[in-house]
Formats: sequence, C-alpha cells, structure tokens
Amino acid sequence: MGNNGANGEAEVGSDGPRQKGRATPDTLKVGCIALVLKDGQFRRAEILSIKETKSGRQFYCNFDNFNKRLDEWVPISRIDFDQDVEWPNPEKDKQKDAKSKKTAPVSKKSQPSKKAQKKVGKREQSVASEGQTPHPWTEFVESQTKPDGEDKANASLELGATPNVGPDEMELDEDETPASAAKKEHTQPFSREQEIEKLRTSGSMTQNPAEIARIRNISKVEFGRYVLFPWYFSPYPEAFSQEDCIYICEFCLSYYADLTSFKRHRMKCTLLHPPGNEIYRDDFVSFFEIDGRRQRTWCRNLCLLSKMFLDHKTLYYDVDPFLFYVMTSRDEKGSHIIGYFSKEKESADGYNVACILTLPQYQRKGYGRLLIQFSYELSKIEGKLGSPEKPLSDLGLLSYRQYWSENIIDLLLGYSEREEKCTIEGIASHLAMTTQDVEHTLQALKMQVYHKGEHKIVIPEKLVQQREKSRAKQRRVIDPSRIQWKPPVFTAASRTWGW
Amino acid sequence: MATRKVRYKKLSVKTPLAVLREDQIDPTEYESLTNEAQIATGVEQAEENEYHLQAVLQSAGVAADKEIPVPPPQESALNYDELYARPFSKTSTYIRFSQTVEESIGCMYDMTADDVVFLKSYNQKRHAGAQLSEDDFERIMDVFEATSELKAPYASIDQTIVPYDEMLQGLQELDKAKLMPHAKEIYEYWKSRRQALNNQPLHPTLKFERHLESDDADPYVCFRRREVRQTRKTRARDVQSAEKLKRLRKELEEGRQLVLAAHNREVLKAEMLKADRAIFELRAQLKEHKIRLGIKTDDEDLINQKRRKAPEAPAVQRPPAPAQLRIAVRPDGRSAEADLSLLSDRLAEKENELRADIEKKVQSHNEWNRDHLDLTRGPLSPVQWPRRSAGFRPAKTQYLITPPASVSSVSLDEPTPMELDKPHPLQSVFKFRGVARDEQSRENPPLYRRRIGRLNRLWIDRRGLASPPRDVDAEVLDRWKYDQSSDDEDDRPMYEVDPFDTNALRFRASIPLPPWMTNRGATPHARPPLPPPQQQPQPHPATQPQPQPQPQPQPQPQPQPQPQPQPQQQPQPQPQPSQIPPQAQAAA
Ligand SMILES: [Zn+2]
Repeated sequence: MGNNGANGEAEVGSDGPRQKGRATPDTLKVGCIALVLKDGQFRRAEILSIKETKSGRQFYCNFDNFNKRLDEWVPISRIDFDQDVEWPNPEKDKQKDAKSKKTAPVSKKSQPSKKAQKKVGKREQSVASEGQTPHPWTEFVESQTKPDGEDKANASLELGATPNVGPDEMELDEDETPASAAKKEHTQPFSREQEIEKLRTSGSMTQNPAEIARIRNISKVEFGRYVLFPWYFSPYPEAFSQEDCIYICEFCLSYYADLTSFKRHRMKCTLLHPPGNEIYRDDFVSFFEIDGRRQRTWCRNLCLLSKMFLDHKTLYYDVDPFLFYVMTSRDEKGSHIIGYFSKEKESADGYNVACILTLPQYQRKGYGRLLIQFSYELSKIEGKLGSPEKPLSDLGLLSYRQYWSENIIDLLLGYSEREEKCTIEGIASHLAMTTQDVEHTLQALKMQVYHKGEHKIVIPEKLVQQREKSRAKQRRVIDPSRIQWKPPVFTAASRTWGW
Repeated sequence: MATRKVRYKKLSVKTPLAVLREDQIDPTEYESLTNEAQIATGVEQAEENEYHLQAVLQSAGVAADKEIPVPPPQESALNYDELYARPFSKTSTYIRFSQTVEESIGCMYDMTADDVVFLKSYNQKRHAGAQLSEDDFERIMDVFEATSELKAPYASIDQTIVPYDEMLQGLQELDKAKLMPHAKEIYEYWKSRRQALNNQPLHPTLKFERHLESDDADPYVCFRRREVRQTRKTRARDVQSAEKLKRLRKELEEGRQLVLAAHNREVLKAEMLKADRAIFELRAQLKEHKIRLGIKTDDEDLINQKRRKAPEAPAVQRPPAPAQLRIAVRPDGRSAEADLSLLSDRLAEKENELRADIEKKVQSHNEWNRDHLDLTRGPLSPVQWPRRSAGFRPAKTQYLITPPASVSSVSLDEPTPMELDKPHPLQSVFKFRGVARDEQSRENPPLYRRRIGRLNRLWIDRRGLASPPRDVDAEVLDRWKYDQSSDDEDDRPMYEVDPFDTNALRFRASIPLPPWMTNRGATPHARPPLPPPQQQPQPHPATQPQPQPQPQPQPQPQPQPQPQPQPQQQPQPQPQPSQIPPQAQAAA
C-alpha cells in the first residue's frame, strides 16, 4: 500500500526501502512506521516521540496522508503489533539521535518552577503534557469522518488499497508517468543547507525540517473567551512545552505559563484593540494596519500565536519587513482579533499576502473570505495584481479557491448575459488577481474548454446554482468605500535601517 | 482525456473568450482543458495528496459541506469579565494608535504564584505602614530583571549575577523613599530565584539567535535579524555619498537663504509702507499749509511722483502693459490716486508696447527668413543648408579683395530650368536679408555682408552694431503699431498687395531687370517661371509672386560705375521702418 509514485512526504517514511519486522511496545522506537488505529481504520503512522504516562506508554503518531494537525498521542492499545513494523534507516536514525542529544540538556535547564521540575527528564518527557491534557480532538475527528466513511465506498478516495490515487491521477496517461516520477524526485526532502538557503533567498514560508518542530509543543491555550487546541509547533519559550496550558492575552497577545502572572498582566494591560491604525470599519468588522517594525513585540506575539495554526509559517526571521492587517470584531470589551494577514512591505514576487489565518474559534464563518477580499481590495487601491505567497495550507487553498471561483463566476455570468467576450487578462485586472490564479481557477472548475477550434469558457450549472445558494445566505462582504488607506511608502533606507 | 490529446491553439491571456452557460453548448463537442499537470494548487507538494484535502478538492466546490477536520476550540472556563475588566468605548472615528505593547503595559514584571507566597510572608513581618504592595514589588523586580539583562546579557551562560550595587542606579528612578527600604531584601529574593533557574530570566523568554552553530538547527530560535546585504564600500560609492551629502547641504542652505531673503523682503516692505505713510502725511501737511497760506494747489502734491518714473520704464517689457502696470502698482501701498495716469506713464507704456511689437516683428521676420538661402557668394561653393548667417563675415581690418571677374561666373550661376521648377520654399512678396538678431548682435562681433541691390546699388549689411537711441515720437511709433494686426502675432506678416494696381505695375516697370537676366534673355519677367506662362496670373496676393530679387542674386559687382560702397544704414538692433523695402510702402 501507499506505493503510488507522486506521493512525496505526505507518505510517512518515504526515504527509501526499509527493513521490516515485528515489534513489541518496548522495541518500538522513534522513527518506526507502524499501523495505528485512526478513525476506525489502521493507518500507517510514523512514531515521532515516545513518553511514559500514568496510564502507560504513549506514542506521538503522524499518519500517512493526514495533515499534521491530526497527529496525536496514542496508547499502546491502538497500535497493531501483529503486523510488521518498518524500522528506521540507520542513517536517519543517527541524525535523530544527535538532535535528541542536543535538545535534551536544554530542556533540563529550563525549569521554571517546582511544578515543572517534577516533569524534568528525557526529551520524550518534554512533551509530556500533550497526552495528559484532555484533548477533544480524537472524538471530534471520529465524529467528523464517520459520514465520510460511507462515501468512501463509492468515491474513488478509498484509502484501503490505493490510498493516493484520486480520479484525476487515474486519468493520467501512461506516458505521463515519467513526469510524476520526476515530481517525486523533486519532492525529496531538502537538505538543511538548501533549506536555509531557501529561507534566505525567498519568501518567509517553508517547512522547518527539524524533528522537534514536527511535534506539537503547546497543548492548550487560554485565549480570551476560548480555549484553543494548537495544531502545530510554535517556538514559544521552551519551558512552555511542559505546561498543561498557556495563557495568552487577547489584546497584546503576551504569553504566560503562570496563571497568576497572567492575571497580574491583565490588571495592567491597557490595550483594547490591535496597536495600529484602523483602516476599515463596518458594522461587523474592523481592520487595523500594524507595522512590524514599529510594533515588533505585538507582531512577534501574533506570529507565535498564528504559528500554532499554520504549518508552513516560519518564524525564522523577524517581523520588520512585514505589515500586518488584523481583522477584529467589536464589542463592549474591545476589538477582538478574528484573523489577520501579513504582507511584505515590498514584495519582489508581487505577493499581496504572506501569511493568512482565521483563528480557529472564528473559522467556518466566512471570515476567511473577508480577509481574502480585503487583501485584494488593498491590491486594487495599489493598482497591482496580487497573489498569496506559496505554499498555501490546505485550508488556505480551499478558502482562496472559493473566493476566486465565486468572484470569477459572478463576473462571467455578467459577460454571459451581455453576450460579451472576455479575456483572462480582463478578469484578472477586474479582480486584482494574477492571470495565473485566474487560469488556475478556471481549470480547476473545468470551465476552460476547447470547442470547435476555439478556446471558450463554460459556466457549469452546478456552480451557478451553488453561487445562488450562497448568495441567498447573505454573506457579508467588505465595502471598499469604507477603506481609509493609502499604500504606505517605504524608502530603501527605511526598509534597511528604519529611517 | 489524455489519450486523445489534441494539440490546442495556445491560449493567450489576451484572447477574447466566449462565455457560455452549460446549456448553451453541446457537452460532446468540447473538451475541458483540465489536466492535473496544469493545476498547481500552490499547496506544498507533499501535502497535496492529503486525504481530507483531496476529498474536498474532488468535489470541486460542488459539495460545499465537505470540510477539512480541525481540532475545535472550546469556551473558556475562566471568568472572562473578571480577566478583561476594562470597558471599551467605541470611537466615532477610525482609531489611530501607535503605542507599543510595552508602553501599554507599563511595568513588565508580572508576579508569579511563588512571588505572591514570598510577598505575603514578607509583609507579615512588617507593620501595616511598612508593607510592600504588589505593584511596588513588581517595580523593584522589573528593575532587577532589566538591569540584569542590560549588564549581563549572557547571565544564563556565564552565571553572572549582577551585584546589588549595580542595581542602585536603576532603582534611583523609582519612588526612593518608599521603595529603597525594601530593595535590598527583595534583591536577595530575586537572586535566589535567579539561581534556582540557572540564572535565566524569571519570565520565560523566546530564544533569539546567539550566533552559535546550534542556532540553525534549533526550531526554538526565532525572529532572526534578516541579513542586510552589505553595500560594498568602494571609492566610487564614497564619492557618490559625499556628493549626495554636499548636494543636500547646499539645498538646505538654499532653503535657509530663501527664508532669510523672504524675511528681509517683508521687513523692507514694512519699512517702505512706513516711509510712504510718512511722506503722504508730510504732503498732507504741506497741502494744509498751502491752503492756509492761500497758495493754489491741486492734488498733485499728494502723489509721490518722482519715485514712479524711474523704475517702470525699463522694467516692463511685456506688451499688455497697461493693465499689469496698474495692478502692480496697488500692492505697493499707493493710494487710489496713483491710478490717475501720468503723461510720462503713458509715454512709457507706449514705448513698451512699441518695443514689444517691434520685437515681435523681428521675430516673425527671422522666422520668415529662417530657411532662406542666400547663395550670393561663392557660386561654386557647395550649398550649405541651412546656414543662419549666410554671407556674413566677421569684420576684420582688412581690405576687401577685388571681386573676381563676373561674366563667366554669371553664366554658371544661372538657374537651370530644373532648379527653377523646384518650388521655392518661400513664396512671399518681400525678402528681407540681413535682419539682425538682437541676441546675436550683442554677443557677437559686428558682421558685414556686401551685396548688390536693385539698381546695382552696393549694400553693406551690418550686423551687431548698436544704433544710437532715437527719440521716440509717440505719433510716429503709433503709425507703425497699427500697420499690423496684433491678434495673429505668430503669423508671418502678410502685406496685401494688389499686383495689378496701376501704381504697383508702374513701379515694377521702372525696375530695371538685373543684367544677368537681360544678358541671357531667359525670361521676360524677373521671376522664376513658377506660374506657367499660359496660366493667367491670379490676383491672389498669397500665391502671386511679386517682382522680387532672385533667390540667387549676384554677388559680383557689376560693371556699372559703383566706385564706393554706399553705406546704407541698417538700423540696429531693432528693425526700423526704413528696413521695410519701398515696395511695401508703395503697395500700402
Ligand atoms: Zn495584554
């Protein structure tokens, strides 16, 4: 299983053939790939960490073809020891050992309190809190995916025998296979040097290959009226990884491991909204513009917070070259942050968004679309075509696709009614989208066709109906006339030296 | 499908595309341009195949209820209203805010649970008046932490604990009387806390880069400074920067001077106003005296006459002088009486107008003659085109060379029929030659040109000589002023001449033909055969060539007795009425 070529890293342990053999709970070690029960099925999972808890040994598992946010600590009972386990390759193993050694003393050093001292130990124990915190996650996933299970029978997404072969890939012709083989080669993990080089030379996002960064380090966050359960690693102070819960001030985004400190902070903190200028306000939301250089602490705090929910965000470099556009909702307590996007002060690649995030407590409510729309409204004011920085997250891709397709369909319906022809360039400039993104959307929705020797656009009825349905829901939109904003100008000197 | 791949025409983003609804087109006739290779999702390739993402992508937005599962947030059990007690009042305008987090918080040290225990026991030992409040405790701790970070940034590595004495400086800034009694004891507590934590900051901090080798591999190290590409220091760059700074300095200095000058100007203006007022008052006094003494007088006494004559006459050069002059007068602070025009003003105005008109004429004449080629000299010399001061030579103390023999050159110089057929660039009635240009004559040495004019007169055209100023007679000037309509100033002057007017005919008849024409007997008329002989000349002045000197007049002196050059005064620098050839006057 899992033998499809174009699989890349999503398939765990794809670094060549591995030795197989039976394992016991005692011999199973970090780097092994075992079959672990998830959503009522046994799935391949890489063991990333092991820890001892009161209820027994637990293993941190990353599941084959599941996003990292679905990683979890599992007890022995969920691992199938009747099947062969793939053992880690010796070379990779060595690297891992080196890393564990390096990090172990550090975590020993950081013992902030007596309470924490009790937990001191090996590296495995530095992430001890994960499993002890009641995590609503497992139950949730199960409830979420059960209806899907029924679909699997008729959908070609069945993960049993050929888990990765979607209908699209099955359409591939034989002579296209070399291409996918090439693709596989391309997706081999970067070397560290390449990785650093990529970070230096290109944008702000890439994957962090370090092993520690693959394991969620914060298990629970008190944030305003909500408790959040982080998805990914975030480089908060190392000592925080030993805490059951951390506290983040909703307005200044300062972080505390100690509840008393947090309460003391709340008595002093006077911020009631993001520390910048409001550039948009309607009855529903506001937008604030914040300069990473001026508000370094706040923007760093925001990045740390958002890193818990963005896999490919990197905090490798500082926040100075970015502007942050923060969307808030108002009530009698303040302007509460819903989400934000960051934007390079000057993007060499023409990106109008670097990172974009709706906080989990506001997701699935249409806020992402407002963020995206706002980013394009700013591009329109700048008179530029914009595109989000890649890679997108899975959720980011879906939000963008939805925004793109809805706006393009609205535009095309007008053309079709007036029986006018349109160009891809015309759509792009109307929506401040790049032509690549327009083409991407048209093709993804199978709207670009070739008919009697001519390129044409066909609007599928299903999409029209769906658009009407979503319009009937009266989704909120940004009213561009309420934006009070001029593109900020930064001289070369101010970007470099902060003049 | 990939199997029956057709080679499509390449689609440009500028190609107009028909937009159709699904029901407007037969689905069997077209092919969707969708194949996986073309759609780059922008998601990390490793994640593109993730199960939940693919599940949603497969539905291509059709089944909107399919979602990627995420860990759901929960309501907090903490008391929100207690934690977030501050009320927020909505502003009517958009918020503008630039305070930083630090500024919004104040004291950066927050008591921990351990601190609370310590402070409680600390205060128990003291009577109520000498107890330390939580805020003050935090202030003291904040000083210790901040000083420590400042003086021993590598405290956690080298285990330096900043001694109490060095803390004193920071404590000075606090409310000394109230806090100093506690400081030493709190310091001991702070020290013990630091030691318990391996001398790390009491608040967990982010891991910033320490420029160690392990930094790169450590995912906790964040917010590195982005390497600034060092601009290489070169001599050229230094010079460049120095130049920039110099320029900046100069521009700033200029700005400063400008402000100073403006200030001076205003001061002078104020003084002038004062002086004007004093003068006026004195004059008023004078008038009163005169009235008292019974001397008859008019309002002239009140007007400041002398001062006005001098500056105005040379200053104004532009033609629409009258209106401007008066407007310009007012801000000077003169009374309304100043509007009464004086004779001298009028004269000055007129003269200015005339000057302006003359300037204009000179310009139009220059314009008119721009492409004029004077091939007077050097019959064999190559045509130099365009040459501005053709035929003029700088004056040198040197005797004129005896002109070469003429006859042979005459024949060579005769225009061939071909040349004559060429339309002449200028079909105007008059030809001006040697019109001086003001600006040139001033900078250049005087130039002379010798030419043979009508009746074989020898002309010496001079250029660059100053003419003596003339007395301006208003009447005389006026006469010329109205010779030309001033509304189309840019047009070349067009003199209406009726070629069939008897006087004109008679006058032309009296002009003897140049000898080179009569010698050859080429044409009965002294003009190029532009209007074909059979065509009856139309009485249109614009198209009607007048008897005019040929474009290539003879430079050679003719055998006629013309012993000495007749210096015909060409008035300089402005063309004077006498410059206009007699034809114009005759026709007018
Ligand atoms: Zn705060």
